[in-house]
Amino acid sequence: MDFSAGIFLQVLMDGVVLGFMYALIALGYTMVYGVLEFINFAHSEIFVIGAFVGAEILLGLESSGALATLHPAFVILVLLFAGMAVSGLAAMGLERVAYRPLRGAPRLVPLISAIGASFFLQDFVRLVESLWRNTFYLTYPTLDILEKNLSLGMGVEVPLKSFLVIATALAMLLGLYLFVNKTKLGTAIRAVAQDPDAAALMGIPVDRIISLTFFVGGAMGGAAGVLFGLHYSLINPYSGFGPGLKAFTAAVLGGIGNIPGAVLGGLVLGLMEALAASYLGILTDGAFGAEYKDVFAFAVLILILIFRPKGLLGEKVREEGA
Amino acid sequence: MALLEVHGLTKRFGGLVALRDVDLIIEESNIAALIGPNGAGKTTLFNILTGLYRADQGKIRFQSRSLSGSSPDQITRAGICRTFQNIRLFGEMTVLENVLVGMHSRIPLSLSDVLFRASRLRAEERQATAKAMELLGLVGLQGSEGVWARQLSYGEQRRLEVARALASQPRLLLLDEPSAGMNPSEAQVLMSLLRNLVGTHVRSILLIEHNMRVVMGISDRVTVLDHGEKIAEGTPDEVRIDARVIEAYLGRGKWAGHAQG
Amino acid sequence: MKNWFFNAGLAGYIGLTSLLVYSFPRSVSAFLLFEASLLLIYYAPLSRAAKLSFTAAVLIVLMPLLGTLDGYYLEVAIQIGIFVALALGLNIVVGFVGLLNLGFVAFYAIGAYLWAIFGSHQANAFLPGGYFPLGQAWFFVFLLLGIAAGALTGILLGLPVLRLRGDYLAIVTLGFAEVVRALVNNLDKPINLTNGPKGITPIQRPPLFFQPLVEFLGFKPDAAALYPLYFYFLVLILLLAIILVTRRLENSPVGRAWKAIREDEIAAVAMGVPVVWMKLLAFAVGASFAAAVGVLFAAKQVFINPESFTFMESIGVLAMVILGGMGSIPGAILGATVVTILNLQLLKGLSLWLNGLRQSGIILSLPLLGSFDLSQIPAQFEPAKYERMVFGLIIILMMIFRPQGFLPPRQGGSTKLTTGGDTGEK
Repeated sequence: MDFSAGIFLQVLMDGVVLGFMYALIALGYTMVYGVLEFINFAHSEIFVIGAFVGAEILLGLESSGALATLHPAFVILVLLFAGMAVSGLAAMGLERVAYRPLRGAPRLVPLISAIGASFFLQDFVRLVESLWRNTFYLTYPTLDILEKNLSLGMGVEVPLKSFLVIATALAMLLGLYLFVNKTKLGTAIRAVAQDPDAAALMGIPVDRIISLTFFVGGAMGGAAGVLFGLHYSLINPYSGFGPGLKAFTAAVLGGIGNIPGAVLGGLVLGLMEALAASYLGILTDGAFGAEYKDVFAFAVLILILIFRPKGLLGEKVREEGA
Repeated sequence: MALLEVHGLTKRFGGLVALRDVDLIIEESNIAALIGPNGAGKTTLFNILTGLYRADQGKIRFQSRSLSGSSPDQITRAGICRTFQNIRLFGEMTVLENVLVGMHSRIPLSLSDVLFRASRLRAEERQATAKAMELLGLVGLQGSEGVWARQLSYGEQRRLEVARALASQPRLLLLDEPSAGMNPSEAQVLMSLLRNLVGTHVRSILLIEHNMRVVMGISDRVTVLDHGEKIAEGTPDEVRIDARVIEAYLGRGKWAGHAQG
Repeated sequence: MKNWFFNAGLAGYIGLTSLLVYSFPRSVSAFLLFEASLLLIYYAPLSRAAKLSFTAAVLIVLMPLLGTLDGYYLEVAIQIGIFVALALGLNIVVGFVGLLNLGFVAFYAIGAYLWAIFGSHQANAFLPGGYFPLGQAWFFVFLLLGIAAGALTGILLGLPVLRLRGDYLAIVTLGFAEVVRALVNNLDKPINLTNGPKGITPIQRPPLFFQPLVEFLGFKPDAAALYPLYFYFLVLILLLAIILVTRRLENSPVGRAWKAIREDEIAAVAMGVPVVWMKLLAFAVGASFAAAVGVLFAAKQVFINPESFTFMESIGVLAMVILGGMGSIPGAILGATVVTILNLQLLKGLSLWLNGLRQSGIILSLPLLGSFDLSQIPAQFEPAKYERMVFGLIIILMMIFRPQGFLPPRQGGSTKLTTGGDTGEK
């Protein structure tokens, strides 16, 4: 470890990849919070479900021998769509079963239910995988093309999979931006977030819009899950906890309920985490190393909530009714 | 010497000025009313007086002591307590417990007394309970002390709020629309209750009220707010014929004499 | 006489279930039935004195007796006691004041590590002089120190975070617990404070100061047999103290202020309740309970490592409080008992049963579905490992169908309704 420019750029690249991953997950937290003012604690498991869907498809293709014959870009597209669809539907189902019956209950009640759902889903994934494969630690089969490196000069080698994460995330963020701001459904989501009662009076089917919000947020999480699997390859049912908590931190950092804020928050947190992982050891002369990067992220969360609970870009939270 | 003196009170929410340079004086042994159209800043004034909001400018003196910068519990201890426009009781606590919470600032509390169940604390609690029962009797809630507050009827909840506020032994009682939702005969009972409170339980009362029959019936002085500014002040009869007051109400298509809550 | 009837019935039930436990060693259902006698006592329309004597008979006489015959029950009873104490602590914060603390386990860890570090050789790693482990008698000092340390950390955490909205508070406490766990996990360098993931062992157990007395009475027990009983009674005494403190706080202006904050914070403020102080007090009291239990836990286990203090423990305790009924002392006791037994016994029993099926070689043939070889049940499928699913299901189902829990606080149960005379503490 040293302070050379090449390594610094490498670290920045890692941070950006991590940041986009957090940003994609954070969107699910932030969109649901925008509409329902509620932390969907089980969103981290929606993310994990996406990762497992991707792994199962890849493993299926591999064992049937089809993986070698299909174009990798096609495979990746299939994975992303499948992961998004399943995660989106899972998030919708979750809302229907565990949250909708609690609408109007005191604020903490749905949050507690979401924590229960998070725990339930972790072991549910484990149960399914245990019965199906007799193990719940899965490894993504490698797609050779993703292992190639791209040289950026100055000794910086960037694996193609990092570009995949960044490009996919950018495309999805652009798509989400267009969807929320330029379509009728997106307008309806914004209207419900602004004022659900008024939206209902204007004839917007609030329940369906809330379902849609969960679907879109869940789909983003699912895509993040597939990308996570492709990039880091090892997954298990409990993989969601850390990234989920950090993505939530990112959402709060950007200002919860604020979509661009989630992206900014994700990037800032990802970069900070990557820098901390690489340089904490050097800065403290080996006393505190990369193992403290999680502590670092949580410390950021606690400090933001205490000193700037509205986040960097300001949060969108309705005034509490008199 | 006036009980409460407010000078030049101003409160802004972002660009909106909720109160602008408001003066208000409440004399001893008085019932004062605060009226004005919706959004005039009446409840904001209550929130500032009780320390929930902080004023941007202005001075508040209560019994010749400044209250600027005091916390809500200090203000309650100093002798100002209130009720809420949209009833805020402790739903899943009994009626008696609600009143006892009102006494919180009057029961000397030490942790060791609590942990060792000191006889001093037991005596205090006995006294407090007796006092609370007396207050419940005063507002006509005797016999309901054991039920949860949320099980009371609307009118009973309003009366419980009054009892709870009285429990803190306020010198000045602030009531936010005490007759809201009451029928004329209930309002009549309320008026006689409020008249009896002054001099026995509290020194003065300041109430926000939309029911003009109540305002005109029991107030010694009436202050009119509109758009955060004081537009009139005086006896009920003076205010009733004040041109600006009539305009403030008529401008919104309401008959001053028949405006209701 | 109706009373006579109830007394006899209860005594009969207790006798019968103890006999069952005695004759069916390690039977979950027998033990559950026995435990249920406490619930029956709680509900029986008996005088206070009768209830107390029945409870004492079950907890002080029968349980230790059965436990001596089969140490397994004693172990389960101790574990239940530990979780009851934790649930009572969390109940103050979540149940009385309505603050969702998702990092409760952090305080438990602080207590446990406090005694583990100084009650073992561990402290020699960073303090000179080789004074460690401290003598066994220091355990009692550290029980008190644990209470103080818990209260102090509770206040230190509470001071900055108690102004936050409820859901943010929940996440911050969760983050705090993760930070504590990460520190415990990693503080084996640069200075070795906690010995990291390897954990600390052996940890001193409390002294057998009563051994001479036992020997004088003519018994010749060895330490191995005495310690489970000893810990059982230590847990029982600690629980008794915790329940007493909780009840006194609940039935005082403090308890009323806590509930008022839970019901409507703005109204509580307006009534003169010093909200920040009251919340801090709740945080401190809950944390001190957890830390005291932590000290005891370290001494009982002799070995601790960071694995015992994960987020899952916090959620498990939360599930206990929710199951029993937030804000209810009997509820917290019931919830902790049920969840612990579920975890320790039912799921393990199910795992064993499945294992048996696997080895039985039986082939089930179902019409239409074809035959299924039971030995094909995946080995990974072990119900005992699915605690999270159980906690999760409990929490979701309770929130949807019975958010007040199974033993919700009784209406007016905590306040005396009469004005006349001192009825004394109930």
